[in-house]
Amino acid sequence: MLRHVLQRLLTTIPVMLGVLLIGFLLMQVVPNDPAIVRAGPTATAELVQEIRRELGLDQPLYVQFGIYLWRLLQGDLGVSIINNVAVTQELAGTIGPTLELMFASLFWSIPIGIAMGTIAAYWRGSLLDRAVTAFSVAGGSVPVFFLGLMLIWYVGFQWQLLPFTGRGGPLWTLEGWQSIALPALTLGGTFIAPVARMTRTAVLEVLGAEHVRTARAKGLSEHAVVLHHALRNALIPVVTLIGLQIGFLLGGAVVTETVFSWPGVGRLAVGAILSSDFPMAQGTIIVLSLGFIIVNLVVDVLYAALDPRMRGG
Amino acid sequence: MAAPTAAPAAAAPPRRPGLMKRLLREPVAALAFLVVALLVGAALLAPWLAPTDPFDNNLGAAMAVPGTPGLPLGADSQGRDMITRLLFGLRITLMMGLAAVLLGGLGGAVVGFAAAFYSRVDGLLMRLMDVLLSFPAILFGLAIAAILGPGIPAVVLALSVATVPLMARIVRGAALVVMRQDYIEAARATGMSDARLILRHLAPNCLSPVFVFATLRFGQVILLGSALSFLGLGAQPPVAELGAMASEGRNFLFFAPHIAVIPCGLIFVVVLAFNLLGDALRDALDPRLRV
Repeated sequence: MLRHVLQRLLTTIPVMLGVLLIGFLLMQVVPNDPAIVRAGPTATAELVQEIRRELGLDQPLYVQFGIYLWRLLQGDLGVSIINNVAVTQELAGTIGPTLELMFASLFWSIPIGIAMGTIAAYWRGSLLDRAVTAFSVAGGSVPVFFLGLMLIWYVGFQWQLLPFTGRGGPLWTLEGWQSIALPALTLGGTFIAPVARMTRTAVLEVLGAEHVRTARAKGLSEHAVVLHHALRNALIPVVTLIGLQIGFLLGGAVVTETVFSWPGVGRLAVGAILSSDFPMAQGTIIVLSLGFIIVNLVVDVLYAALDPRMRGG
Repeated sequence: MAAPTAAPAAAAPPRRPGLMKRLLREPVAALAFLVVALLVGAALLAPWLAPTDPFDNNLGAAMAVPGTPGLPLGADSQGRDMITRLLFGLRITLMMGLAAVLLGGLGGAVVGFAAAFYSRVDGLLMRLMDVLLSFPAILFGLAIAAILGPGIPAVVLALSVATVPLMARIVRGAALVVMRQDYIEAARATGMSDARLILRHLAPNCLSPVFVFATLRFGQVILLGSALSFLGLGAQPPVAELGAMASEGRNFLFFAPHIAVIPCGLIFVVVLAFNLLGDALRDALDPRLRV
């Protein structure tokens, strides 16, 4: 088990370095000279040269990449062009809200998706199954922002039930709950369909397996057969697939954050790109990418923990 | 992602008659086909069908509600006819999707065939594809828009990059099956060059899973592309593009919800129709893939 984790960690390192390299090169191709930006519009050519030396911009690219990695390790991602705030400082405040939103979305959508998928698989071919299937095809075709705008229009504006802009506070306060409700409903809403579809397939497969037949032959109640023998085994692939879909969820989070002005990494990234704030854009993209790699790594390790057959290899 | 990496039509006799017939037997599939045909037709004929110019604004009609005389679907915030904007928006959106699926599909096909054909590079290529696959398309969109600046080219490129690894997997899977066939061995024995062998014998027999995937991917690409445009990273105003229209409409949601809701609804219809058509094509071309 430990070996497997170490192995996965080792294979992750080149990918992380690759992401950092791309992030670094991103800054090389954008039409923006950090030295000029830092020096300000009234600076003399000498001052710009001075700053360029100071920042190491006169060094060859590979040395610059080294310097960049070294700065990154110290938590220095540069300074925003727009408001002169350190990128890491701005980022630090947005990671929490993004994680909060993703967690809240998964919290309600996974159980519903699994329940829907199980019901559909158990009564395969019934009207209920068809309804679930139709729902998951339709649900997979709805733009996230459509769902968000509809919730804002009805729940937020027409019925005045919940707030729909910004974050009200931490999750343990009432304001926090109220403000996260609509964004989490939106983001989670797009996640039900894939979870239901994956669960249906997995449960169908397990229901046909020998051990389920044995369980039935033993005279166990249907309830016990489905919950303990079928669903439990079906959950292993479902958990992995859900893990792999987290990427999809983070993409949706970027859109959801923008729709609801949720102060997360995604909204910060979009804002930075639209205002040509290159250091901020670079920082947010790096954080999002590394976030992803880490999520994938965790899912993989969890999978190995759940299913010993997956270790090694 | 449960991508169909199943056997291509190689095992079945080529050009079985009646694909259309089989496809249209299912009412849902027939409806999806009809809707796709109508959407594509409307997009192609937009300049002739549209009652006005997409940039013609008439501030007097700003935010006119659907049903206003002369404006059946109302007007947007600058008084531009919604029907015209939707037709042109559909055109741009579909073209964006087509470009991304073609570019990404072509790139993926090259990688997939190379991986299947040259076992020396197989491991490396597919490992690279796995890495690409682990990042979501929206992230590519953010990164590429940061480099190129927001715009349609950035979106098309991002969606193409996100399509490459998926197509590579499909093509590799299909090609590996075909390569086990005797006629490939025979063609190779005649001394045919690799490129010719791939183009003449391998590729044509891998077409059906590719076709199914491309149709399903088209829906996903439209969904992702419109999301990027909605974020402001894609089509820029005043260009009519469905995601960008929804984004513009968002600012007027409380005064004139139709400006945002109608383009959103149209995106939904487009994506749903392509998804249903893709599913139906999969069932018709290769019933073994049915889940």
